[in-house]
Amino acid sequence: MPIYAPSLPPRPALDQGLPAALVIARFDIRRVLKQRVGRFFGFMFVGSLLIQLATLYVRHLLRTQSAFGGVRDFAAQVLPQGPEFHAGILTMSGWLTTLLWFQVALVGGGLVARDSLYRIRPLMYAHPVRPLDYLAAKGLFAAGLPFIILLPFAILPWGMSLLIAGTSGPISVWAPLYLVPSALLIALLMGAVTLGASSLAASPKAGFGWVLGISLGANALGGLLSGLLHQPAWMALSPQALVQAWPALLCRVTDPPLDWLPTLVGTTVHLVLWTYIAARRTRPSEAVL
Amino acid sequence: MIAFQDLEVRYGDTVALANLSLDLQDGIVGLLGPNGSGKSTLLKTLLGLLSPAKGTGQVLGVGLGSPDAARLRGRIGYMPEYDALIEDVSAFEQVAFWGELSGLPADSARDRAHEVLYFVGLDESRYRHVSGYSTGMRQRVKLAQALVHSPELVFMDEPTNGLDPEGRRRMLDLVLKVRAELGTGVILASHLLEDVERCADQLVILDKGHLKASGSMAGLRKMLAKRFELRFMDPLSDTQRIKLDELGRVLDDHHGLYDLELNGDATDAFRWANQVGAVLVQLTPRHDRLDEVLIRALHGDVAAVKEGN
Repeated sequence: MPIYAPSLPPRPALDQGLPAALVIARFDIRRVLKQRVGRFFGFMFVGSLLIQLATLYVRHLLRTQSAFGGVRDFAAQVLPQGPEFHAGILTMSGWLTTLLWFQVALVGGGLVARDSLYRIRPLMYAHPVRPLDYLAAKGLFAAGLPFIILLPFAILPWGMSLLIAGTSGPISVWAPLYLVPSALLIALLMGAVTLGASSLAASPKAGFGWVLGISLGANALGGLLSGLLHQPAWMALSPQALVQAWPALLCRVTDPPLDWLPTLVGTTVHLVLWTYIAARRTRPSEAVL
Repeated sequence: MIAFQDLEVRYGDTVALANLSLDLQDGIVGLLGPNGSGKSTLLKTLLGLLSPAKGTGQVLGVGLGSPDAARLRGRIGYMPEYDALIEDVSAFEQVAFWGELSGLPADSARDRAHEVLYFVGLDESRYRHVSGYSTGMRQRVKLAQALVHSPELVFMDEPTNGLDPEGRRRMLDLVLKVRAELGTGVILASHLLEDVERCADQLVILDKGHLKASGSMAGLRKMLAKRFELRFMDPLSDTQRIKLDELGRVLDDHHGLYDLELNGDATDAFRWANQVGAVLVQLTPRHDRLDEVLIRALHGDVAAVKEGN
């Protein structure tokens, strides 16, 4: 039956649309892209990526152009190559991951909290949306956003290295095999913390506070325990430390900030804990119609 | 449209709905009851969000608590009582979003968003962010999102909440238009009796999770048509007062103004007055006193409404 105008075609079957999780995730992404905060962070990340690429190009010039022979030795000291260099592509000495934490806190803090504040979630559950769809949509957005931001950092410098210097370039030909999984693990970790923190908050501003609070608080607690007990493994409590640890471990840095076992355990605990909290906090029975 | 038997819904040890049995026909059903009466719990259960602890039932042919509940919600529209609007998005974008979430393909959802916003009278302002909308416009956006996927049944929870008299009139016109032009069944939950009286074909009254009364509005009106206010020239003597029970059921006696539910029709009142030697000076029909039926139902006097079934 047409809704209003006689020209409107009959309603199509209701199973021809996209899965609910994709509809919600796409809607959230569109909203973020329209926000000023999205543009600001877009500018910051693109700037960081350009700096990364420029550094790489200068490195190539230093190595290949005889005119730069005088500064080559100096450059080799300040720009050491090897596993540390590869791992640093994703973290940029902590700058990139810190910026990313702020970004996911600002954008992702309101991910579930905004739906709670404006009571959008109960209305979603009044549609053919299951709790799993909702959680998947929010998780997809929360982890997808940092992954999409990190992916160019994992791919473009490598591509440029291949382009300008072939297989003998400053970045290993196999680097994406380490960097893309690292980016994925970082994104999953940030996504899980953001999802759980946002589900605990009553408003987007509170969500921002929760994400930063969990991130900084766990970092402080991990630092305190590892200092008191003289066991660096306690730093695995900190999502920040785990984010730094994964590229170092996968790129086989000689002295990683954390070993494999605490990193694996810490990551699993964070993923399970925050996803569980988010699942509990977004049940239909919590939805007040 | 909706039928259930011995429905019981619990929140832990608290019984939110107890032994509810109803059979609601296609049309506009008014769901009345004070806060905490179980209206929202009933809607949640009908939407498949809560599983009944006891009892069976069907909504549009789908069993309550069945695995098909999620798909069933695609056939139902829900207009919530609270705002539930995405403030930083235009009405068009969010109505299209809700359409897609109901299972419509993106193109179809966008086409229908235009149409349904036209239907509710928001066509000219559909590209504005809803944060700048008036209360009446916001209510209409909520109605539009409930209708965008052409549901077979719409749940409207307090659709006239916060509206001025003109806004209320327009919203109730829309409720009637939804039924008349789209052929959609409507469950109208409200605490405003006038809203229900104006729109509904059937009435359900809930209180503290119990069904207090149910019946068709036509039957109810028929029953109400037997209610009259009577006043006599002189106060009735004790004998006359006792004989008044032969005329009908005395519901109220306020300083000589009798509220009666007549056994027969209005001419009986004159006949009775002539017989007992009283002079009838006032005989006023009380067709508009639905609120008293509600109050009586809430106080356990259900029979009056059930007679109207």
